[in-house]
Amino acid sequence: MSQSATAPPPPAAQPAPAPPAPAAPPKKRFWPAPTGKPVGAGVEDTPGLLNRLQVIGVAAVLIFGLASALIQYLSFEADGRAADDTEQLVRVQEIQTTLLRADAIATNLALLGGSGDPQQIADRDAAYDEAIADVFTLITQAAEAQPADEEALSALNVAVSEYATAIAEARSNLRQNFPVGKEYLSGGSSALRSDALPILENLVTANSERAEESMNGQHPFWLLLIGAVTVGVLIWVSLVLAQRFRRYVNVGVAVAAVLVLVTTLVAAVAAWRGDSQNEGLLDDELTKAVDQAEARTAGNDAKAYESLRLVKRGSGTTYEPLWQESAEVVVDTADTSILPDWEAYVARHNQIVRNDDQDFRGPALRVATADDASGSNQPFTDFDEAAQKLVDDNSETTTDELRAGRAAALVGSILTLLLGLLAAVAVVRGIGARRREYS
Amino acid sequence: MTVAMRLAAVALAAALLAGCGYEDTPLPEEPEASAATSAPDCETPDESGTDPVASYHPGEGVPTGPKLDEIRARGRLIVGVSADTYLMASENPEEGNRIEGFDIEFAKEIGSAIFGSDFNAGRNLELRVITASQRIPLLTAGDLDLVIRNFTINSQRWGCIAFSAEYYHSGQKVLVGASLADDDEENGEYRDPSDLAGLRVCAPTGSTSLVNIEEAEPDAKIEPAVNHTGCLVKFQRGEVDAITGDDTVLAGLAAQDPYAVVPDQEPLSDEPYGIGANQEDIDLVRFVNYVLAEMRDGEWEAAYERWLQPVLDPEGDDDVVQPTPTYGR
Repeated sequence: MSQSATAPPPPAAQPAPAPPAPAAPPKKRFWPAPTGKPVGAGVEDTPGLLNRLQVIGVAAVLIFGLASALIQYLSFEADGRAADDTEQLVRVQEIQTTLLRADAIATNLALLGGSGDPQQIADRDAAYDEAIADVFTLITQAAEAQPADEEALSALNVAVSEYATAIAEARSNLRQNFPVGKEYLSGGSSALRSDALPILENLVTANSERAEESMNGQHPFWLLLIGAVTVGVLIWVSLVLAQRFRRYVNVGVAVAAVLVLVTTLVAAVAAWRGDSQNEGLLDDELTKAVDQAEARTAGNDAKAYESLRLVKRGSGTTYEPLWQESAEVVVDTADTSILPDWEAYVARHNQIVRNDDQDFRGPALRVATADDASGSNQPFTDFDEAAQKLVDDNSETTTDELRAGRAAALVGSILTLLLGLLAAVAVVRGIGARRREYS
Repeated sequence: MTVAMRLAAVALAAALLAGCGYEDTPLPEEPEASAATSAPDCETPDESGTDPVASYHPGEGVPTGPKLDEIRARGRLIVGVSADTYLMASENPEEGNRIEGFDIEFAKEIGSAIFGSDFNAGRNLELRVITASQRIPLLTAGDLDLVIRNFTINSQRWGCIAFSAEYYHSGQKVLVGASLADDDEENGEYRDPSDLAGLRVCAPTGSTSLVNIEEAEPDAKIEPAVNHTGCLVKFQRGEVDAITGDDTVLAGLAAQDPYAVVPDQEPLSDEPYGIGANQEDIDLVRFVNYVLAEMRDGEWEAAYERWLQPVLDPEGDDDVVQPTPTYGR
């Protein structure tokens, strides 16, 4: 079967070109006999034909190697970006939630005024300060992680600074029992929602789209298509060779075709599995992380509205519809495992509403500020922490799996490049054998 | 082959660039400013020759009537008040967040007169905190018995509701920083609205105070805020140089900021405060006027001295007295 087994006929042995016959019968196309001898018409163009076939064959496998390796490298890159984008998405959602958590603490703190329990006030002050410090740290980390977010984060930084200043002024005035403290507080809360939250919503949307797009970075179809086209070209080269030489199979080209075929199948299966895994992460873990962060954000928003209705006495009709709106988001998006915590908080909130609607100020304030189970703070904290845990767990799983799967894509990319080169060598050798036979 | 390699290199570079570049996250568009809510349309009654501050005569003895019977049967008097107008009506966190102030003294007096010796403020008096824009709608809807909340009596409002006799005569004045009230003429000492030319002045959006100051000094730079406390926030942040409004409100603002002063000045307008009621509740208005008349025995003066005088007249040299009631409706 090896072409080297048969000595190529010397060119001198070629019969001299016969004078053109007046009525030469049309040449019959036939499957060449396996003799290794050039057959059919155009025998004089054989070296040129071999050169052309070699160029076509080598170019095809090299382009295959490069393109297929590139696609796999892009998949490797896309998974890395998907992990980064997912982390950034979780980070900006964390900013959003922490900011509203800070507002929920600040508004609740205002209910204690200057005459509350000093230890409770000090604890809440510390919790608020920690939340605001976390927000600024997260903004810095987010700006470093995604240059495309820099401008938006810069604007967010200004809005958060203004909010923090307003709350500092509110705290100072409320300690003196001056009503202007409540104006600073409600103005700061309102500006937070009108200035900072729209920026954060844009950041969440942009990073969601980026993460989703990056997670769709696996391309099994293109790998299959490129492989199929390359195998097709190699088959065509084989057929032309077989027509010209009396051999069914050119081993070099056949080896190249098998390399391309196997590489394609392995790469496509790996890409398909990666794609499925990413889809699974997108549909399950990432969606869960995003939803629970959204539920947590809406929950803290509602808690802030609950305090604001008490800070601004008589404003129940203003703030209760806003509380209801946020509560609906929680019910729609929170995982069923944390809904009981939320419902426990809602029961306390309803107590506050009942008391406040009847202007039973003392009982309403007691339920709103108590830190034990008799108040609304403890059940809310239980919900908040449970939601935070779900966000952390699911986002960690998403990024870990994205990073773990990408190594295979990088190895595959390098191997494909090498196998492409190997296939090119095989084509050169295969066609070189025919050239030697011819010469 | 060379051409193919070049093409592949270009494709590689293009793909890498396409994969790595992200569009910048957009900034939100500026929301359009919402129009200020307009006051409810009240058809001004044709009462030519009737003094707007004229109310219903209390008559002889203690007034009675269906509204008073309803309130006694209910066991509670429902009064719309403010909770953030310092000195007039605001919460005191040191007193269990009780609402207190000059206006609240009148609510207590009226409640006490209705329920007699059994009156208990916690049980018989419901202070419902409302905004300025809710005053007339809640009274006309019958949700409140009375409104005692910086309520200026005027002809247009008589078209919607009824007022008691005037219980305090306020006027629009200007609050400035201490540096403009230190008797230093060269430092732009504030004397009258002409001194506001070029200065930034705050008043609540859509208020008559804002219109009055624009007329008095067109060169003043108007910087509106949602309410007077919002103006104080701007003042403390250095965004405005002065605040204008009723002297009672300015007194409350000045009490919260040692740098804010209400200098001696002629008021820009007269603001006769009345207690608002539903137009149908004439018996209740008569009763309120009866209580106001009773307060001439010293209760009015005590309330003024406790809440407003320390800020509005610290020297005690102004002869501020309870306004003389005008009846005639």
